[in-house]
Amino acid sequence: MRHLYRALTVLGGYRAQRVMGVATLAGLAATVVIGLFVVPPDATQGDVQRLMYVHVPIAWVMFLAFGVVFLASVAYLKTKRIQWDRVAAASAEIGVLCCALTIVLGSLWGRPVWGTWWTWDPRLTTTAVLLLIYVGYLSLRMVADSPARRAKWSAVVGVVGFIDVPIVHESVVWWRSLHQQATVLRLGTPTIAGSMLATLFLAFVTFSVAYGYLMAVRMRVGRLEDRSAVPVSAQTGPQVRRVQSTDISASVGSDGHA
Amino acid sequence: MHDVGYVAAGYSLTMVALVGYRWHLAVRTRRARQYVSAINGRARIGRRRR
Repeated sequence: MRHLYRALTVLGGYRAQRVMGVATLAGLAATVVIGLFVVPPDATQGDVQRLMYVHVPIAWVMFLAFGVVFLASVAYLKTKRIQWDRVAAASAEIGVLCCALTIVLGSLWGRPVWGTWWTWDPRLTTTAVLLLIYVGYLSLRMVADSPARRAKWSAVVGVVGFIDVPIVHESVVWWRSLHQQATVLRLGTPTIAGSMLATLFLAFVTFSVAYGYLMAVRMRVGRLEDRSAVPVSAQTGPQVRRVQSTDISASVGSDGHA
Repeated sequence: MHDVGYVAAGYSLTMVALVGYRWHLAVRTRRARQYVSAINGRARIGRRRR
């Protein structure tokens, strides 16, 4: 847990953030150019298979984001440090964005290949449930009346909600599904051509860096919003001094400067 | 040819979503920074001092 937070604080530094921002832009440009114009189309599906280079990496980032929510929630319940709640909230927001994108991109891919925008297939249904769980998680954060209670309730949902993640991943194996089985994240050698695999790998790296970048920016927003949530009436006296010193020390720890 | 429309829509939507979310975070940062500035006189975190 300590290593995860240290990694996040390093990623949260200004220089790292800027490097990740540039790397994300360059990676996205390369992915789009290679994915659309360089790699040959699929022999069976034709050009529509090119959606794989965004659909699959975004689904991977979705799993990564919800995994971080799970770890940060466990860490919060163990340590009661509010920084972990911020990590979980930031990751959940990005995870929800990626989950919604995964569903929409899958729908765009499914229409020409399956002949339908949506079907109650196990993979699609469990992914939709996953989206609802984490939209619920974000909604819960908005209704809780105190930061401590909000963090505790969210952490519980963050841990319990993660149960759906392995179900989504394994749904194509456990049940009969229209959705194809894993071609890359599987035991044994991948079942796609080398050039496609290389492009997919580039997209995986690009979207993972994009996740790191968005996490860094979102955590900075979280720290600022937590500070701005301190009531004006509490800005004097010893209690405030404690709140401010905690906050500043947290920001020093994560930014390198206050 | 028809398939290209789905591909273009998918790639465009992905980029719009990423840029839109980044823009949304920028707006939230600016608002929170203004609020912190109003309380403390200046924003103490999230901005590099030169």
